[in-house]
Amino acid sequence: MVKFTADELRRIMDYKHNIRNMSVIAHVDHGKSTLTDSLVAAAGIIAQEVAGDVRMTDTRADEAERGITIKSTGISLYYEMTDESLKAFKGERNGNEYLINLIDSPGHVDFSSEVTAALRITDGALVVVDCVEGVCVQTETVLRQALGERIRPVLTVNKMDRCFLELQVDGEEAYQTFQRVIENANVIMATYEDPLLGDVMVYPEKGTVAFSAGLHGWAFTLTNFAKMYASKFGVDESKMMERLWGENYFDPATKKWTTKNSGSATCKRGFVQFCYEPIKQIINTCMNDQKDKLWPMLQKLGVTMKSDEKELMGKALMKRVMQTWLPASSALLEMMIFHLPSPSTAQRYRVENLYEGPLDDQYANAIRNCDPEGPLMLYVSKMIPASDKGRFFAFGRVFAGKVSTGLKVRIMGPNYVPGEKKDLYVKSVQRTVIWMGKKQETVEDVPCGNTVALVGLDQYITKNATLTNEKEVDAHPIRAMKFSVSPVVRVAVQCKVASDLPKLVEGLKRLAKSDPMVVCSIEESGEHIIAGAGELHLEICLKDLVDDFMGGAEIIKSDPVVSFRETVLEKSSRTVMSKSPNKHNRLYMEARPLEEGLAEAIDDGRIGPRDDPKVRSKILSEEFGWDKDLAKKIWCFGPETTGPNMVVDMCKGVQYLNEIKDSVVAGFQWASKEGALSEENMRGICFEVCDVVLHADAIHRGGGQVIPTARRVIYASQLTAKPRLLEPVYLVEIQAPEQALGGIYSVLNQKRGHVFEEMQRPGTPLYNIKAYLPVIESFGFSSTLRAATSGQAFPQCVFDHWDMMMSDPLEAGSQAAILVSDIRKRKGLKEQMTPLSEYEDKL
Amino acid sequence: MDLESNYEIARTASFIRSRNFTRVALQFPDELLKDSTRVARALRDKLRSSEDNASDKDIGLYVMADTAYGSCCVDEVGASHMTADCVIHYGHTCLSPTSTLPALFVFGKAPISVSDCAENLYNQVSTCAKPVMVLFGLEYAHAIHDIKAALDIESSRSQGSTSRLELYFADVICSVMTPSENSKPSNGNVGLDDGLSANQGSGNAIDTRYSIGGLSWILAEGHTIQEYLLYWVGADNAAFANAVLTFNGCEIVRYDAAENVLVTDVSHQRRILKRRYYLVEKAKDANIIGILVGTLGVAGYLHMIHQMKELITRAGKKAYTLVMGRPNPAKLANFPECDVFIYVSCAQTALLDSKEFLAPVITPFEAMLAFSRGSQWTGAYVMEFQSLMTSFPVEVKGQLEEARFSFLQGGYVEDFDSEEITEENGDGTLALVKATEKALRVVDNDHQLVTKGSAKSGAEYFAAHRSYHGLGIESNNSLPEPFLIEPTGIFGGVGWDG
Repeated sequence: MVKFTADELRRIMDYKHNIRNMSVIAHVDHGKSTLTDSLVAAAGIIAQEVAGDVRMTDTRADEAERGITIKSTGISLYYEMTDESLKAFKGERNGNEYLINLIDSPGHVDFSSEVTAALRITDGALVVVDCVEGVCVQTETVLRQALGERIRPVLTVNKMDRCFLELQVDGEEAYQTFQRVIENANVIMATYEDPLLGDVMVYPEKGTVAFSAGLHGWAFTLTNFAKMYASKFGVDESKMMERLWGENYFDPATKKWTTKNSGSATCKRGFVQFCYEPIKQIINTCMNDQKDKLWPMLQKLGVTMKSDEKELMGKALMKRVMQTWLPASSALLEMMIFHLPSPSTAQRYRVENLYEGPLDDQYANAIRNCDPEGPLMLYVSKMIPASDKGRFFAFGRVFAGKVSTGLKVRIMGPNYVPGEKKDLYVKSVQRTVIWMGKKQETVEDVPCGNTVALVGLDQYITKNATLTNEKEVDAHPIRAMKFSVSPVVRVAVQCKVASDLPKLVEGLKRLAKSDPMVVCSIEESGEHIIAGAGELHLEICLKDLVDDFMGGAEIIKSDPVVSFRETVLEKSSRTVMSKSPNKHNRLYMEARPLEEGLAEAIDDGRIGPRDDPKVRSKILSEEFGWDKDLAKKIWCFGPETTGPNMVVDMCKGVQYLNEIKDSVVAGFQWASKEGALSEENMRGICFEVCDVVLHADAIHRGGGQVIPTARRVIYASQLTAKPRLLEPVYLVEIQAPEQALGGIYSVLNQKRGHVFEEMQRPGTPLYNIKAYLPVIESFGFSSTLRAATSGQAFPQCVFDHWDMMMSDPLEAGSQAAILVSDIRKRKGLKEQMTPLSEYEDKL
Repeated sequence: MDLESNYEIARTASFIRSRNFTRVALQFPDELLKDSTRVARALRDKLRSSEDNASDKDIGLYVMADTAYGSCCVDEVGASHMTADCVIHYGHTCLSPTSTLPALFVFGKAPISVSDCAENLYNQVSTCAKPVMVLFGLEYAHAIHDIKAALDIESSRSQGSTSRLELYFADVICSVMTPSENSKPSNGNVGLDDGLSANQGSGNAIDTRYSIGGLSWILAEGHTIQEYLLYWVGADNAAFANAVLTFNGCEIVRYDAAENVLVTDVSHQRRILKRRYYLVEKAKDANIIGILVGTLGVAGYLHMIHQMKELITRAGKKAYTLVMGRPNPAKLANFPECDVFIYVSCAQTALLDSKEFLAPVITPFEAMLAFSRGSQWTGAYVMEFQSLMTSFPVEVKGQLEEARFSFLQGGYVEDFDSEEITEENGDGTLALVKATEKALRVVDNDHQLVTKGSAKSGAEYFAAHRSYHGLGIESNNSLPEPFLIEPTGIFGGVGWDG
């Protein structure tokens, strides 16, 4: 631990070239937090006066209990490089002191949003991969997310100790495993060709891959070994590093390097010969307590042990020896310092991802140059509960300028539109705070390139916001974060005592702030809804709500519910017609399903209401086979004007048509939000306006006549086009040993899941199973699976797609019809669907 | 039951005669219209027969039907068309106070089996731990006396229970209404705020008086209505809904007189309350509000409308007042600009909730919850707007106020003008500079506001949201066309042949 005062820490914050902001990302249980701990233990900054009585790791009781990380936590590290080791460093620097702001993120997929929030405010990522389990689904997800944000990754192959102690694999086999892990990671990274970011793939021979054992606190990069051997072989370090990886073999008998295994018994791969074997040897000697052999070996390596440490035995001895020989902190921190960008480097290319406004205005330039004298640009990526109940720190990163205590800032919320007043506040920062371990210290200001926590803005920021100086009215906000998961699981909450409602409202408000993903909303029926990414996420949210945010009031929660979507299977069986209330106007319409993939394209924003019609029609005609002219006749998208349904004008030569367009659009927005079946959102339906007959007098074809009629005719056309329900489906990835497969399959079958991929991980007894599982069946899936496999299988569920339920909801007694009536009952609607005859009129 | 007693012809005649009314309007709801001529004839006969001594001129009787708003209120406008000087109101009524004309209410007499009801009520009282308060639909008012009597017999017969029955009955306020008494809203006879109301001068200042829908009762000191079981005699109609919503903290059972059954499940009504809560939340996000005039008779409606306007302006939103008779979806859809409508009407027609409406329709009480900052939904619910007028919330404007959190949008939403006010208060010297700055800012013409709630006035909505602006407005050139001199003279002057 490094004992510091706030002033000392503040001093380093000014050296923008000597800062590294990075997050630790990985699949669940690959050892992020353990690895982080070993770094913190060595280099974590804590306030001088509290040294000794803080423990960095336990932030939340439930995290310790479950053994998983739930919230991402930031920690500052201090590392002083020696001149010698910095010799090879080409970049700009300001002395030898380095400040590393590290954010440990959760690995469970339900908390992916925390990772997103962490990535936004960092420039580099340490990707941790279990050397046995390899690259898993969440590794891939977070890695893609990091690259999408232009975060440069470095890799560490973790849990090396398993190779030596548990699996006892020999050198060559281990090398193959590591090679595969790195290759798998590189496959993902290779898809992100980015001229500005350059090559993002990782190479052991370039020092961007480390090998670590977080549990035992040791790690190395090839640089460590190259240094050791370079002088011995009389080559320079970089040359040596290349020899230590890949197809380079060394035969100690002939003392020759070859690029092929010569076949002789002594010829071994460089990595095996010079890295793996020595470590193995040391570990084995330690484990077998052959101290007489050990001391000379250590002496040769230049490792000196303290006398009391020499008394240790077995595993403890091994741990101590390895930590002294190859300390994790120096290997990993040096890798970060060398290969991850400083804020001033990173912001040069990240500005395009970050800034929404024109890239040549002063704000963009200030971000690009990481200019502490420029206008303030600060992104708040998450809110952290303060010890003062109900209040929050706004935690974020200063991208340009300085933020100081008492500064009046413009707060631009996620819905802010430049030039408007919406979602915009001007307020004063009460205090700027930096973390010294677990203790917060107030500092006067924080310059760009650093993370900071702000006090006094929590009543204006829900989840995230862009802050700038009060007078900078032209600044555009920093782009909103894009999450990889969506809140598909919902639960309704109400208070036990009706008069506690204000407490519940307050509690939900706080809950909404405390988590980047959770959505607290209210249903049409007046129920309060909490929506989260998965069962675990919801469980944690509810726990937080009850324990921390409600002031002791009790709540009742409903069973988890899943929202459905309504779609159609075919084109309407006939053109349907509805008459306006005054019977003087008639609308004719048909519904048809959107082409496959089109709804997803709308979701992703590739096609949307604000596109250039020409571009849109190009995509629609080329990818989805639309008629070019037709593509220009899209009236609108919906619901919420951006949803995956649309109205297309197919009329020819109709009078007054543009006059009623707005009314039809209004009716469509309304209807597509509440479908005819169960008032769920519609999805993937295209409504074609076939013909319109209107009264000649404008007063008789006003909104009052057309809006309700448009809604009715839309419902009628939906009902005649074989309406179907869509249910959300999870992609489940399960990793388990062979003997657990039977249990997994039976649980999946019982839960309507279907396996589409089963793969053995090469070199391990583990199987990787990928399956689709309806979200509605996922409640209790984890525990059932654990029970069926005696705890050997652990699933990761992430929302994947909407799946059509083939049973016909209009057919009484069918599965879908039962579902529809359940939803209607829950919403307090009439249990019977409104029949088609209510919506359709006859001539 | 015969016409004479059902329509209380004798009482009506004596009412008219005693007050010397000469032009009398008889207001019938649609379902009683079929009896109107017979009632009028019977009344006329009655009046004539007793007219032996006095004035030679005939008393004018006019039948009014098809009431503009709810038929439960007295249609004073309709009556004033024929310069009537009193209204006889038949059928179901909300007993809302009138503003100009005296009125006599004839509730009608719905059939009820007194013995069944008494027995049922007796069972309820003897099994229930709580004291029971009997409320009833006004059409059953005639039978209440008989029920009381029957209950006495019942309780005396079964001497098993020695304790006195904890049973109370509400009283009908009056069946005659004269506007002079209650023209001033401040001492309107219906006062109800959080269950407590100003005492009606009975001397004992601690008694609590409750009144709803023409019924009133007094609870002794230290009692609240929550301690009672409410026993409603009557149909599941607007009056009952009104009672359930107002006393949502109480246990309520309903005796259905038509079917002779006790209905204990009022979850449907409770659900309405939750739904209203949602509408309030939704209204908070609104920027343009339509005030629908839903009555022209209930005393104090104008005052209420003004109060609503003031409330809305103070909340920094825009209000439009609309008079359209009874609202229906087609009428309201003619005003797509409005995000929410406030319906100012009598208590029993106030709840207009239908999926068919494009924008929610809320009551003045809900509007107060929605538009005055810091007020919270606690479950208390007021339907009759007269009681709201006295309890206009005093707005506390704290300096450090939290931005408003919207559950519909899942985040903080600030209302436009409160922001502007603080800004202008900030430094007065810069106000002029800011004003000019604002005036000079170029407004992007192509910019489309995306969400509906973002327009601040009807005009802005029109400019931003409607793609159709009528004919000829599209032209961007607002300057007058350059002055052209017409070619003069014969063809020679034109110049294209020269």
